[in-house]
Amino acid sequence: MSTRAISVDGVSKKFRLERNRPSSIKEAILRIGKTNDADDFWVLRDIQLQIERGSFFGLIGHNGSGKSTLLRLMAGIHRPTTGTIESDGRLSALLELGSGFHPDLTGRENVFLNGAMLGLSRKQMAESMDTIIEFSGIGDFIDEPVKIYSSGMYVRLGFAVAVNVDPEILLVDEVIAVGDEAFQRRCMAHMNLLREKGTTIVLVSHNTRLMTELCDTIGWLDHGRLMEVGPSEGVIASYLAAVDADGDNKLTTRD
Amino acid sequence: MRKSASLIYHFAERESKARYKRSLLGWFWSFMNPLTTVLVYNFVFGVVYGAKAPLTDNGKAESFGLYLFTGLVVWSVFTGVVNGSMGWLAGVSELRKKIYFPTETALLGGAAANAVQTSLEAVVLITIMIAFANISWTVIFLFVALTLVMLFALGIGFIVSVFNARYRDMQYLMGILLGVAFFAVPIVYTEELLNRQEVPDLVRVFVTWNPPALFVEIARDAMYFLEVPQWNRLLAATVWAVVTFTVGWVFFRSKSMEISEEP
Repeated sequence: MSTRAISVDGVSKKFRLERNRPSSIKEAILRIGKTNDADDFWVLRDIQLQIERGSFFGLIGHNGSGKSTLLRLMAGIHRPTTGTIESDGRLSALLELGSGFHPDLTGRENVFLNGAMLGLSRKQMAESMDTIIEFSGIGDFIDEPVKIYSSGMYVRLGFAVAVNVDPEILLVDEVIAVGDEAFQRRCMAHMNLLREKGTTIVLVSHNTRLMTELCDTIGWLDHGRLMEVGPSEGVIASYLAAVDADGDNKLTTRD
Repeated sequence: MRKSASLIYHFAERESKARYKRSLLGWFWSFMNPLTTVLVYNFVFGVVYGAKAPLTDNGKAESFGLYLFTGLVVWSVFTGVVNGSMGWLAGVSELRKKIYFPTETALLGGAAANAVQTSLEAVVLITIMIAFANISWTVIFLFVALTLVMLFALGIGFIVSVFNARYRDMQYLMGILLGVAFFAVPIVYTEELLNRQEVPDLVRVFVTWNPPALFVEIARDAMYFLEVPQWNRLLAATVWAVVTFTVGWVFFRSKSMEISEEP
């Protein structure tokens, strides 16, 4: 095993803008073979990043800076337009509300489905089932379809699964904030526990105080470009300074 | 590999369970559907139009209903998998935006559920044929036909489901195409009818040699006439099935990462 958990090498990501999609078959046929740069939006540009094994890495940046897209690329959900992205180890991701849950299935069925997606056998999942139910505090709702869950229940079950499948790399987008105070504390405690076990964690958040507390390294994204990577305090200071300089205090008060 | 296998199993289980969820009679419906189809077609074509099926091998039965049923078992795999594939992919597309998994497992799982359903229909068909004492070792070619039609349908399913992920026009188009294709296969009429002079050669060749027709004819040779299917039909059917499946698979794999970017 290398010392790198995730290697991002020259990664750019382009999305197609919806408003420019052909709206009829005729238009679609007329457009065959024609590409127009105006149709594209570059979410990430030329990202170069190494995340060391066992580190607690944070990603900060303004809304739309590309943090979540970078996380999705790491999770293998999207393929980079250019460059390569490699992860080494079993990867578990909690990317958004109800991440990876099928609304019609019960909580229990979803836990098995998630386990299968992470490469865990039914038996392994059955063994962790009690821990997951206990950790999530879902109780009897585990046998109800997840579509009737509250948003807090969604996140709690999602987090319980993500951290109890013994991940080597854990990706967490800003979702924990949805849970109540007690659950948030439990999440923090558990993430620290995972870190002690050597799990590599990548966290996206706007909560700079929390990031300073948890992360040892932080990357700052601005309009799809990686501005700075380094020890938490330094990068957050640069980020906040940039926000201040922008005369835009909206983000700093979110804390 | 093991990961894919467990996902395929999961999707197959879900498809089977979801199909008759909230129904009292459950799997009973999976027999009712082909049964009513056979009864209705038998009435319309066999009784009203007086269509005659060729004699079975033992010469005892001349049953248009059985002639139909044999063809329909094969045809329902084709339509079930082609139509199903679009739904199976659409059903996991939201999930795929949030977590990575190989998308083809959803289609393979759906196809596996279809295979279970088809096996039940095959058991019913074989049981009826035994009751009519019209059975022989050629029954193994029924399973050859079903395997080939499954591969062929999956190949097409891989392609149409990707298009359907972007433009839902695909499912409506397929609904029409499959409706037309049903009559391009000798299921409700016999191959003998094609040998009349009024039928243009081109139509005769097309209806005899199009892939779904080949699969149906092989199954009927095996179950109805109790003959070993002609080798050139077997060969053509195998080539169609393997080539279509391969092309579909390669196409699907090259496009499957884009599914998470569809709106």
